[in-house]
Amino acid sequence: MIAHFFFLGCNGKSTVKHWISLLIVAAILTSSASARDARTVMAELIQSERAEQAGLIEELSTYGDTIIADIYEAWRTGGIYLLEQDTGSQLLQFTDAQEWALVHNGAVINLSEAEAAAAKKQRPARALRKQMKRIIDTLGLKADNTALRIDSAIKLGRSQKAEFIPALEGRLKIETDKQVLSALQEALAISRLANGEDAQVVEAVQTLKALNSVAARAFLEELMQAEGDNERADSSLSYACAEALISIERHMKQQEFFGSFFRGFSTGSVLLIVSFGLAITFGLMGVINMAHGEFVAIGGYVTFLVQNFFIQTWGLSSSAFGWYFIVALPVSFIVAAVIGLIMEVSIIRFLYRRPLESLLCTWGISMVMQQGFRLIFGAANVQVNNPTWLMGNLSFAGFQMSYTRLLIILIALVVVALTWLLLRQTNLGLHIRAVMQNRHMASSLGVPVARVNRMTFALGCGLAALGGAVLSQIGNVGPSMGQAYIVDSFMVVVTGSVGNLLGAGLSAMGIGLVDQLLQPSLGPVMGKITVFVVIILFLQWRPGGLFPTLSRSLDD
Amino acid sequence: MAPGRAVPDALSQSRRLIAQAKVMKFSTEMKKEMGILCLVTGLLMLIPLFNAVGPESGPLSVSAFQVSLWGKYLTYAVLAMSLNLLWGYTGLLCLCQSLFFALGGYAMGMYLMLMIGERGAYKSVLPDFMVFLGYQKLPLHWEPFYNFAFTVAAVLWVPGLLAFVFGFLAFRSRIKGVYFSILTQALTYAACLMFFRNDFTFGGNNGFTDFKDILGCNINSDATIRGLFIATTALMVCTYLITSGLLASKLGKVQQAIRDSENRVLFSGYSTTSFKLMIFVLSAMIAGAAGALYVPQVGGINPSAMEAAKSLEVVVWVAVGGRGTKWGPVIGAILVNFIKSYTTHAFPDYWLIIMGGMFVCVVLFMPDGIVGVFKQAKSYFARQRSLETTAA
Amino acid sequence: MSTYHTPLYRDTPLILSVSGVTKAFDGFKAIDDLNFYLEEGELRTIIGPNGAGKSTFMDIITGRTRPDVGSVTMHEKDGRDYNLAKLREFEINRRGIGRKFQTPSIYKSHTVYDNLILSLNKKRGVFATLFYRESREDRERIMEVLKTVRLDTRANDLAGMLSHGQKQWLEIGMLLAQDPRLLLIDEPAAGMSDEETERTGELLMSLENKHSLIVIEHDMEFIRQIARKVTVLHQGHVLKEGSFESVKADPEVIQVYLGRQGKRAENN
Repeated sequence: MIAHFFFLGCNGKSTVKHWISLLIVAAILTSSASARDARTVMAELIQSERAEQAGLIEELSTYGDTIIADIYEAWRTGGIYLLEQDTGSQLLQFTDAQEWALVHNGAVINLSEAEAAAAKKQRPARALRKQMKRIIDTLGLKADNTALRIDSAIKLGRSQKAEFIPALEGRLKIETDKQVLSALQEALAISRLANGEDAQVVEAVQTLKALNSVAARAFLEELMQAEGDNERADSSLSYACAEALISIERHMKQQEFFGSFFRGFSTGSVLLIVSFGLAITFGLMGVINMAHGEFVAIGGYVTFLVQNFFIQTWGLSSSAFGWYFIVALPVSFIVAAVIGLIMEVSIIRFLYRRPLESLLCTWGISMVMQQGFRLIFGAANVQVNNPTWLMGNLSFAGFQMSYTRLLIILIALVVVALTWLLLRQTNLGLHIRAVMQNRHMASSLGVPVARVNRMTFALGCGLAALGGAVLSQIGNVGPSMGQAYIVDSFMVVVTGSVGNLLGAGLSAMGIGLVDQLLQPSLGPVMGKITVFVVIILFLQWRPGGLFPTLSRSLDD
Repeated sequence: MAPGRAVPDALSQSRRLIAQAKVMKFSTEMKKEMGILCLVTGLLMLIPLFNAVGPESGPLSVSAFQVSLWGKYLTYAVLAMSLNLLWGYTGLLCLCQSLFFALGGYAMGMYLMLMIGERGAYKSVLPDFMVFLGYQKLPLHWEPFYNFAFTVAAVLWVPGLLAFVFGFLAFRSRIKGVYFSILTQALTYAACLMFFRNDFTFGGNNGFTDFKDILGCNINSDATIRGLFIATTALMVCTYLITSGLLASKLGKVQQAIRDSENRVLFSGYSTTSFKLMIFVLSAMIAGAAGALYVPQVGGINPSAMEAAKSLEVVVWVAVGGRGTKWGPVIGAILVNFIKSYTTHAFPDYWLIIMGGMFVCVVLFMPDGIVGVFKQAKSYFARQRSLETTAA
Repeated sequence: MSTYHTPLYRDTPLILSVSGVTKAFDGFKAIDDLNFYLEEGELRTIIGPNGAGKSTFMDIITGRTRPDVGSVTMHEKDGRDYNLAKLREFEINRRGIGRKFQTPSIYKSHTVYDNLILSLNKKRGVFATLFYRESREDRERIMEVLKTVRLDTRANDLAGMLSHGQKQWLEIGMLLAQDPRLLLIDEPAAGMSDEETERTGELLMSLENKHSLIVIEHDMEFIRQIARKVTVLHQGHVLKEGSFESVKADPEVIQVYLGRQGKRAENN
């Protein structure tokens, strides 16, 4: 199991590395085409004569370095000085830190008081200011980071200023990143809505429609309003706008639906991991483990401790830190399994086939454990950070899926596969199934029932903790974190028929999905209540759950 | 058991004598029970009595605070008795007893909120939280709660109706055992979420508080506190009589038969659904009544009263006292709450651990609770004595 | 095969007709196009190898399982018919069908006497039981039943204290107290000593003609003792019907029993 998780981890990690290298290649291709440093060009520009400036501005407009904005700001506000000495002239910036720095390379130097007094303040010419402002506004378009480029493009587009159109067009020609390209197209189209001929505007509207631009909605509505006000409500532009708006709205709905669907899937995955443990212990041993939620919390806290250990040993920003989550998964599984083992040996084994008593007893244990967490870790939630490689989204056909949730789904799949293998392909699994079906017969045929019980209970607790570790990435880690999930998990077990893993899997996904699909329209509380009512009604139709077990004896 | 065995054996020769013996045994037991009930009631009545006419200080003085504290314990005792009716005698471990209790409490709380009138912080006819949340007028479903008789009825029918609807659906689809427990827990959870919402018109997470009057009497006066205490005692006596009446009837036998072998009852021609439903509704109503008396004595209610954990706490009381015994739940409720009051004061951090530990121990070592231990001890001494007499 | 399925018209009217019943669990047909007719006052024994569908058959009659297709009809003496497939368990029981389960199911924390009170054929609604008062006739009826099942000396003992055989009898007594028209008895001799088994057989035979009985049994000695007409179930349908001797000698029946044993021997 552990080995498998490491394997899984490596897999996830290498995908991310792949991504990062792709980004770097893209950045190199787009922004570092010219050889000269942005600082050098700025320094030249400041010292140059008016005639040379046009060329330098032209050169400058290919740079995406934010230092340009810094230096220009200093220049404009009187923070750039020229010190002319016999040895040659130096262009200096008086920084916010009250130090003198060379403009062309940023090195800090010491000036004597006489030298400081001799330095002459430089100011940009009025004519230059306008051009510089345009360069600085479009600086973001040339940034190394794609996210910055996208932000900048959208911002420029939203301003709808004609002056940015050439910059956007220019960038469009050399841009290689797909997402940035579509952002540029979107920005251009939005700009043209306000700055074009009628035909061009219609074309822009159609582009926006094709791009399903959410940002453009307000502009399109405005445009349609204006057309209406000008008594041209039936113009082709109006129609185009209306069509585009409908299309965009449909897309948004789709995206929202897909988002809920995706979230439902991942919530269902967590539920699945948690309720698998519950279904196994309940189905096998007739023990309702009310402390199951606390094992979820153990998973969360172990992840927290592993994270702290990584921070202490390697530091928060080191690359090793990213690995903590991968390490936390098997560790939390093992820790919870050991605690479960102790609990089984000391208490649970007296409660087999007495479900009501086991419910009460384990609830007592759950209270002790919850208070234990409060005493050890405090009543407040503890902070668990996502590793950096889990931040961000994978976009697929215009839909965003967060890496964290993708990983959760992946882990759930692995858990399902491993549990299946364990139950179907191993000796322990054979024993577990034998005891599940007929405890006495199994025992008289030489199955070590007591040992099987212990292993199964430990397995159930371990799975709960695995659920908790996963949960730490999308939710809070606190003393009562398990409580929120335990009721849902019980519902899963009841709906999916006790002891039936396929049933548990299907109902976990079902409940997760229904819950998340209802939430946008009903809110979290009413969503939960509706799910509950649906389950009650479902049980009217199928009292034994999805896959009821058939029994010959009268009282089961 | 040993000395009693000889009696039926000898009587088995004659059918009529058996019947007579049953009647006689029944009536002597009945007399003993009634004697105990009167004694307990009499002792409880001493509490308000000493408060009214007793000395100001000294060991016999009883403050108003203590009267309402004991009143609170007694409402808990009634709540435990209502659960015992379900769990102890019918085998239905219900985890929504605190919900019924809280619903009764909320119904009474609505009346008490309306009785504040314009004496609230905002000097409005509307309850303070409504003014705070920007209500213009009283929601329609609040109107009838100006009427005390309606309130009393609501205290019973609101939990009763919920129990009826939920019980009908649950029992009809043969949900029983642990499944029933789980679903009732989920019901409590769902209801609790609803009551925490501000727009549910029941005061959100602050609930109701700052009551002034009940039936025109100042809720904080000693006389009212004594009156509420006496009413609670009366409710407890009523619940006791209902329980023993049921147990003595054939219905009580069906109830216990359901606990032992539900399918046999079903195949003997009884609609177990109706029987369980009836007990469930009755139990919910009793819990609601207990809640209604709890609220004025404690001075407020909020959704935390119906948390799932609270229901399980009630189960602890019954288990500690002894499930399926008549006085067990009362003893358990008072004892556990007494310990709770003490420990939450003395070691606040460890109360949950103590309670959890107590629970584990009771389930593992005292399956019949304190009453069970008493019975065991009694039969042990009886056996010792009979051994001694035979030896002599 | 259809020759066995047509109802045989005789002097005595039918009490139960099961026709064309099929019940499948997850695709496995536990009962497959079963036809079965029982006369008023008849004692019928059902035998068949494990998994032949005997218990499922009883489940279908008592309403514990609903058939997928087919009808289960009970014929009242006044000529009315009831479709049992539409009624719930307790309603079927109130129509006069009592069932004894394979494992004794009694109320172990009630006295033997109370076990029988609960089984009396009285009004069994919630309020009827709440206001029920034990009458003299009820007491006498109970004592009579206790005598019949030889538990009269244990009347005031808790049922949970009885021996296994006594529990079996108590359950039969509970059935008798209901005074049903049709008794379904699942393996009454299981776990009994030879003497107890024989007495059980005598008891069942004494019930014949007063009640209709369907008995499921494995014990061949016991069947020889009680059997009038025997129905052999196999793979969910009726394989043979006839006297014990004719059935026992039937090659197909022998094949079914021995064939399975033969297969089992191969597997081992």
